[in-house]
This record gives sequence, structure tokens and C-alpha cells, in this order.
Amino acid sequence: MKRISIFFGVLTTAVVLIGCSNVRRDPGTVYMPDMSYSRAYETYASTEALTQAGVNYTATPVSGTIARGEMAAYPYKNDSAGYAMSASVKNPLDVAAVDLKEAERLYLVNCGICHGKKLDGNGPLWNDGNGPYPSKPIALVGDAKYEAMAEGTMFHSLTYGKNAMGSYASQLSTKQRWMVITYVKSKQGAKAAAAAADSTAKSM
Amino acid sequence: MNLQHVLLRRFSILLILLFSCSHSMFAQDIAAGKALFMGKCASCHNVLKDGTGPALKGLEERHKWADHKELQAWINNPAAYMAKDPYTQGLKAKYGSMMTGFAEITLADVDNIVAYINDAAIVKVAPAAASGQAPEGDQNAVLFGIISLVLGVIALILMQVNSNLKRMSDEADGLKTPAPIPFYRRKSNIALMSIAFFVFGGFMVAKGAIGMGRQKDYQPEQPIYYSHKVHAGINQINCLYCHGNAWESKHAAIPSTNVCMNCHKAISTYEKGPKLFDEEGKEINGTAEIAKLYKYAGFDPSNPNQWDPSKAKPIEWVKIHNLPDHVYFNHAQHVRAGNVQCQSCHGEITAMDEVKQVADLSMGWCINCHRETKVNFNYDSTGGNKFYSLYEKFHNDIRNGKMDSVKVKDIGGLECQKCHY
Repeated sequence: MKRISIFFGVLTTAVVLIGCSNVRRDPGTVYMPDMSYSRAYETYASTEALTQAGVNYTATPVSGTIARGEMAAYPYKNDSAGYAMSASVKNPLDVAAVDLKEAERLYLVNCGICHGKKLDGNGPLWNDGNGPYPSKPIALVGDAKYEAMAEGTMFHSLTYGKNAMGSYASQLSTKQRWMVITYVKSKQGAKAAAAAADSTAKSM
Repeated sequence: MNLQHVLLRRFSILLILLFSCSHSMFAQDIAAGKALFMGKCASCHNVLKDGTGPALKGLEERHKWADHKELQAWINNPAAYMAKDPYTQGLKAKYGSMMTGFAEITLADVDNIVAYINDAAIVKVAPAAASGQAPEGDQNAVLFGIISLVLGVIALILMQVNSNLKRMSDEADGLKTPAPIPFYRRKSNIALMSIAFFVFGGFMVAKGAIGMGRQKDYQPEQPIYYSHKVHAGINQINCLYCHGNAWESKHAAIPSTNVCMNCHKAISTYEKGPKLFDEEGKEINGTAEIAKLYKYAGFDPSNPNQWDPSKAKPIEWVKIHNLPDHVYFNHAQHVRAGNVQCQSCHGEITAMDEVKQVADLSMGWCINCHRETKVNFNYDSTGGNKFYSLYEKFHNDIRNGKMDSVKVKDIGGLECQKCHY
């Protein structure tokens, strides 16, 4: 009898030890739930209960409104006519006063992964065709077509997306989008000659 | 005369033969084709996959493209070619955008590009790319546990044998020994055991009580197996690309589905990275996980142009880092003003497949960092961190050599009301 109980004791300990996983899938409990969990609606909390109670809740701004400090909305629609019209839109920022350091940061965070740190279209997602992205991002510097592209057209593409590229309107505000374009244009003018010389050197 | 004529005719036939062969035999230069393809075509076309334009694999079997002159005419001026060609009109309808014309492309260029496409279309079997290993887990801990258990049992048996032998030898010597008291009835043993029990139990209770409400090591299963290692590590996507709000607001924010789709509209398979495993060691099919994203986004990869982002459903990610409601924490203050790296609190996120809470987020942990961290006070006309410029006294003290550095505690980092109000 004693032997059997010892045997089972050892067996249960072994099972418990082996069954233990150090992956914690459970958040655990808290002391005072009323102080830990907000009674007010938190970011990302489900608003289903509000909807069910008939309370009007809009997750998006009322259409046609502009946030304080935000620039006026872009006037053209996302169609081929709007794309054609976009070339006439001028950069509303005072180019000389744009904080290029901040613009560069925005470019590196949002654009650099595809268009590359050097704006040569070779970001880590393309990586000379070794990255996961299936199509080559365009070179913003060194490609005559994009060197010549109007600021407004760039803004149109940045706002609505173009070809493989998605819309960046949710990640960059109107002002930030113009800042990025100012940064790209500042690089294009200065580096175009050097980049061209570099590519001819490579092809030879 | 006749001979001369025959010779001339033969020579001219040879010349014509040579000339006509030159396209297909000599002039096809795969390297030149690749350079042209990468420079002009690759932004919209992939050899194997549909992108902005169709996949170009096997294009010679489609339409009239076996005739490179037709292909050249199409590439040189797509609008004019399409006007009298229903096949290309169908292409435009399917892919939603008009192909850009490249008037400078010559017939030889077309030959080279097609040669490159045919070469690249042959899928080269990669030598078993980065054969991943299943994570080892806590094999060692289990092994040590079993070994110590076995040793403990052996020790018990030996003690029993020892006492039996002693009694036998005593009996042989004719000594009378009192009836043996089992070890669990011996008073000294009971006292020792109860002290050990109270110390161990007390330690465990205290540890459990302190840990209550804290979630260190919390690693929930997410609705989609999203690997930060693949995205932020291997592919070097900046943390702020998806969590851009960390720069601007209290919350780091979870990206909405359209941010995922910025890249995943084009990246529909997981094939180039290392093998993925979840924490239980089960292998994960990356392509199937991307398919889950498409379900949320309402995106049909075979019909990408019909995608309507406004119909996407949010992915209900499980929040890992939870602070109680009575604590205020602001990401922007730390990331933007304080220049704190994400990894300081969230650990080596670029090496984590499934994210796990690394810090315990206790008050002691916060306070400790506020005591030790130096504030980046340096600024001048060229730049630096101007956020703290209003602490004039500290700036003067640093200038006069009274202080060498300012810590977070010096600017109110230990005040209760900064975080609890």
C-alpha cells in the first residue's frame, strides 16, 4: 500500500513537472479590478455595447471637417481626371522653412523601407530582388520620369496610392505628406547629376 | 557570269540567314535584359507573380507576343496598339491601369528582356533556405528535475538501508535498541520540516502576492501569427511605420488593416524568410497567416483591383502590455521627448516571433529607470533636444560645472502626481 502511494506520488510530480510550460498565455488576475480597468471607454475598446444601447458613436471624423491645425483638404478625387489635374497643385509649404530633418525622419520611417535610404528604389523590402517585395520600388533619385514628376502628382499618389503603393493618408497628415515631398524634391535636384554619373559608371 | 551570279546569290542567302538568326542566337543577352527589366519593367511586373501588371512568365505563349515585333509595338506605344487590339484592352480592364509606354525600347532590347524573363521563369531550386530548427524549450529543466528526483529517492533508500544495517549489527552485538521511530514521527524532523514549510510557503505567498496584477512574460496567442522578428528584424521595418502614434500620442497604437495592406497587397506569400514556429514548437505556415489577413481586409488576391478598403474588418489583437487604470503613461513623452528606444522597455522585439512582455511594468521598475536615466539636455542652435530648454537653472548649473548631468528624478520623475492623478 505504502509502495503504491509513493509510486503514485512520484508519478504525479513527474507529470506536473513535464506538463508545466513556461509560456504564459494567461494575463492573471488583479487585486482591485475597479481601479485597474477603466470605466471610461479606452482606445480600441469595443463600442458594440454603445451601438446596442442606441448611443450614436462615430469612429471617423464627420466628412468634410478639418482638424484644428490641419491643412485644407486636397481637392481632387482618386480617378484619372484627378491624377491629371494633380500636376497643377503647388506645394503649399514654405519650402525654405520646412524642417528637413523631421522630413527626412518621416521619409525614412514611412518610405525608406521600399524606396531606400538613398531614394534609389532599393530599400530593405526589395534588396536587389532578394527581399519579399515582388516588384521593384521606383527610384526617386536618378530616374528622369520621377525627377520630372510634379509635386502635386506625387501628393496625389501619396494620398490615394498608386499601382503597388498604398495610400499613406492614414499614416501621414497633409502637412507631413508635403514635408516628405519637399524632402524628396530637395534630394532630386542636388543628387540627380551624381546619381546619373554613378549609374553610367556602373553600366560601363 | 553564271558562276558569279550563283555565288552572289548563295552569299546573299547566307547573309540573310545570318542576319535573321542573329536575334534568336547571338544577340540575346540575359544580363542586358535583366538590367533593362529592372530599370523599366520591374516596378509593375514580376516574372512569376501578378502585380500592377500581369506576371510575365511564359508571355511568348500568350497573344501574339511570340512575334517580338508585335511586343515592341505594344511596349513602344501602348495606347496606339490597344486602340485596335481587344486582347490588350482586356488587360487594361483586368489590371485597372494603362501600361506606361517606353518608346526607346528597340527590337534587340525586347529580345534581351524576353530572354531574361524566360531565364528567370525557370524556378531555381534553392539549396534548402535556412533550415530552421524547432525551439529547444525547457528540455534541460525537465531533465534536471528528473535527475534530482531520482537522486532524492536513492538517498532515501540508502538512509533506510543504513538504519536497517545498524539495527542488524546492534542485534548481532546483543545490544537492545528501542523500537525504531519512523523519521516522520521524530520531533526534530517535524520541527525542521515545519520551519522549512513556513519559510518556503511564506516566500511563495509573498512572491505570488507581489506578482498579482503584473503580467511579466505574458505572451498571448494572437488572431494572426504576426512575427515581429520577420517584419522589424529581417525586413527592417521601422517600429514607427506601424506604431507611428508612439511619436505623437499616449498610445503606441495598433496599425489598422490598411497599413498591413500597404505591403501585403503585393506580398501574398511567405517564402524567403526562415521557418516559423510558435512557442509550442508547432510550425507555422506564413502564407496561410497572410491569407488570414486578406480575410480581415476583404481582399481577394486573384482580383486585387476590386479591393475596397472601407469594407475591411478590424483584427482583434490581444493587448499584451496592460497598465492599471490608475497609472498614466505616455508613449510620446518617452519616445519623442525622452529619446527612449522602444527596446528599452519592450525588449529585443526584433528577435521575437510571438511578442512577450519583458518588463514587469511595476512601479519599482518605472521609478528605478527614472532614478538612473540621464535626460538628454544638450541643445544648441544647430539642434539637440530642445524639449527641456525651459529648465534654465539646470542649464546654468551644468554650464557652471555644478552638475554634470540631469536625471529624470531631478525634473519631477519621482513625483506621485506625474503618473497618478
